[in-house]
Amino acid sequence: MALDWQPDFERLLDEHQSMVFSLALRMTGDRGLAEEIAQDVFLELDGHMGRMKSPEHARFWLRQVAMSRSTDALRRRKVRGMDLWVELEDGHAARAEERPSPVGARLEHLLTTLPETQRAALILRYQEDMLPDEIAAALDAPVATVKSHLQRGLKLLRAKATNHLREFIRGA
Amino acid sequence: MEHEELDGFERELKQALERRPAPPSLKRRVMERRAQRRQPQSMIWMRLAATLLIVAILGGGLRWGLQQREERRQGEEARRQVMTALRITGHALNQVSTKLAAHDRAGE
Repeated sequence: MALDWQPDFERLLDEHQSMVFSLALRMTGDRGLAEEIAQDVFLELDGHMGRMKSPEHARFWLRQVAMSRSTDALRRRKVRGMDLWVELEDGHAARAEERPSPVGARLEHLLTTLPETQRAALILRYQEDMLPDEIAAALDAPVATVKSHLQRGLKLLRAKATNHLREFIRGA
Repeated sequence: MEHEELDGFERELKQALERRPAPPSLKRRVMERRAQRRQPQSMIWMRLAATLLIVAILGGGLRWGLQQREERRQGEEARRQVMTALRITGHALNQVSTKLAAHDRAGE
């Protein structure tokens, strides 16, 4: 099937725009910046269409480049995720139907306070449902490192949530 | 970790991290920027084609001009040769005429 596959840019855009935008949004916490990153990622894809071998390869490539460009954007702006998230909530709020539950919103908020590498691993694990070896390939990191980031990130997030979301922890 | 069951906290995290819909403007903007990026490439090809056309016309014109000049030069050369031949012939005829006149006078 992969041999017969011909990449169609518009179709890939339709299929993966939500994934790319969400990855950039979770990494940066800024809707405007996330949209810019998503645009850049798809324009980069346009230049690499000839190299896409299969739908899975295109999806892997998009995830990898979205994470990489988001990290680059964060480093360029030298702004901590927490500050960006305040900007998101204040100025670039999502449409009402897109807003997560209050607990979900708080977890997203807390996620942006984690170190970048842990945040990236957790986003790929829980947003994209990826396994540690897949995350390692996407982030170009050893599997053991990714597992460590996942464990430490989850532990830190849980600790932060315990402090900030006592009602949720009690209810769980 | 991959075979572990998700606990309540992880399930909540997974739910919180569901994909968000991309802004409706994202696809339009990507397609617009893609079209803009492709436009200059087509312009470059059009300019290259126009340049090649102009070069071809100028080259053709130059070649035609050189050919015309060569034809004129060859015509000039042929005319000169004809004139020389006529001069030689006239001179020879004059000599024959002079000899004939001298012969006639001697005969009388």
